[in-house]
Amino acid sequence: MRDTVLLLAMNGLIWGLIIALIALGLSIIFGLLDIINIAHGDFFMVGTVLAWFSLSVTGNFWIGFLVAPLIGFLLGAIIQRLVIQPIHGVAALSIVATFGLSLILQETVRITFGATPRRILAPIGGTVPLFGVDYEIYRLFAAAVAVAALAGFFLFLQRHDRETAIAMGIPARRVYVMTFGIGFALAAFGGAVAAPITTVDFRGGVDVLPFCFMAVIIGGLGNLPGTVAAAVLLSFLEGLIQSVADPTIARISSLVLMSAVLMLRPQGLFGGFTK
Amino acid sequence: MTRRFIEMALAVAGAVFLVTVPWSIPALIDNFWVSVITEILIWSLFAASVNLLFGYVGLLSFGQALYFGFGMYGVALGIDRLGLSFWPAFGLGIAAAMTMALVSGIFAVRLSWHYFAIITVVFSLIFYFLAVSMKPLTGGDDGINFTLPPVFRLDGKAIGLTDPTFQYFFVLAAVSLCFFLMYRLINSPLGKGFLAIRDNNLRASLIGLNVYALRLIAFVMAGFLAGVSGALFAFFGRYASATYMFYQVSGEAVVWTIVGGAGTMFGPLVGTALFIVIREIVSSHWEHHSLIVGLLAILSVIFAPRGIVGLWNGWMARLGERETVKKAPSRLTLRAEP
Repeated sequence: MRDTVLLLAMNGLIWGLIIALIALGLSIIFGLLDIINIAHGDFFMVGTVLAWFSLSVTGNFWIGFLVAPLIGFLLGAIIQRLVIQPIHGVAALSIVATFGLSLILQETVRITFGATPRRILAPIGGTVPLFGVDYEIYRLFAAAVAVAALAGFFLFLQRHDRETAIAMGIPARRVYVMTFGIGFALAAFGGAVAAPITTVDFRGGVDVLPFCFMAVIIGGLGNLPGTVAAAVLLSFLEGLIQSVADPTIARISSLVLMSAVLMLRPQGLFGGFTK
Repeated sequence: MTRRFIEMALAVAGAVFLVTVPWSIPALIDNFWVSVITEILIWSLFAASVNLLFGYVGLLSFGQALYFGFGMYGVALGIDRLGLSFWPAFGLGIAAAMTMALVSGIFAVRLSWHYFAIITVVFSLIFYFLAVSMKPLTGGDDGINFTLPPVFRLDGKAIGLTDPTFQYFFVLAAVSLCFFLMYRLINSPLGKGFLAIRDNNLRASLIGLNVYALRLIAFVMAGFLAGVSGALFAFFGRYASATYMFYQVSGEAVVWTIVGGAGTMFGPLVGTALFIVIREIVSSHWEHHSLIVGLLAILSVIFAPRGIVGLWNGWMARLGERETVKKAPSRLTLRAEP
């Protein structure tokens, strides 16, 4: 009993760290551009697919860690110029535009990658004893990578973004393109890291999307560290509940919890609006 | 050619078209398209429920599929489990949707904008997962099938929706009635209150409107529209399934509404018709029709940000301007007469 609790709580924690990466991307797009990005789950999905392709082409899994965020950034930048720029940050329109984007991304992946879900074998096999449980090494590694990426973001990119926003001399347009590119890259990188843990499927982003939105809202709109904390907390709690109930019940209880947070603290669990 | 004349002509043409569909469409294309048009009518009512909240009260709901699903399951469970006949099952579906809308609305309408969008999607996800997990009752993703009871008996002969022409007119009548009710609602003092809240809820509360109560009323009304469409769709498909409660179904209705023109009476109908017709035409030739739908959604918000009906209204307004400029002198001479 204690073992399963630990195992599922660990799984939840690690999944939460990966979700945090994705949700962070959503949060900066939301916070800086006022874009409600329905396609964000698909950005993650594209990351998993890019990881699968780079593995099958080069035979080396790790190349995906480089390819996914790079292509993600480029795609994000192009999408921002072609689709996001013309709608001038009108939130209602952004829903429709990104919904269209989501369809296009899913369908493109279905054409190129196929409709059958596939699995990627963990590049680091084996387990390691942890608190009396045999735990998969790759999951621990994925958690470490996610933490490193999060730390990197807060050390370098966030500061850069804030400075550019403050320094009015830099063209706002370029900041927007960068922000959207970085948002896509974060989600795609999360996808590449998560690919061996989850399945690679053209509908893989559908389940991730609501979860990311909840992390953004519960963490407080525009509060980036809050987003990360909320993602980890939510996923960890869900893992804990899963050890006593089936996954659907766990999902339902975390949703109920979320409603309570929304009702009682709509400004987010962690303080106010810090945009 | 005044604006009024053009719009009257269009309305008459539209009405004539809708009334003659069961005969004109099989003659021009084939029977299949009658059922496509039936489906468009049902889904446009669903889009109208999004429009009532977003276009007229300023609340963007991403969870209308919940009430659609309750309408569906009310009908399906009423017939399949409780053995109800047609009308009680219809009533049960609508009542279930409205009750659910009331209960969730009590919480949801306290929030605005992003928070409202998120809480509606959270509520709908909760019940989606519940419906999926309660497989013995709901059939989960596979859903439950049922046999249609007759709508009424005439001289001992049962008349039901199994007759496609009767089904079409039944749906047309129900949907038209709902659109008419919505039209009356929007043009009533209550509807003016909705618009005041949409434009500025602080100002609305300062002139003495009870923002919370008005929003709740709108939410339950939207639940009614979604419930009717869900119930009709259950009758139309003879089944109910949890998949129709997923957030993507709600999202599609939001897209149809905005592309058609939010805040206009017929925008949702136009948007729904456009997307379903394209889906039907392209999907029979090309498997990857989603690409076209996606592209269309993007192009329409870039080139027609106020929706198709919004674009149309813009043209009509320009037409009207030109006429007033031309007519101005005659009015002056009229006034100058003793």
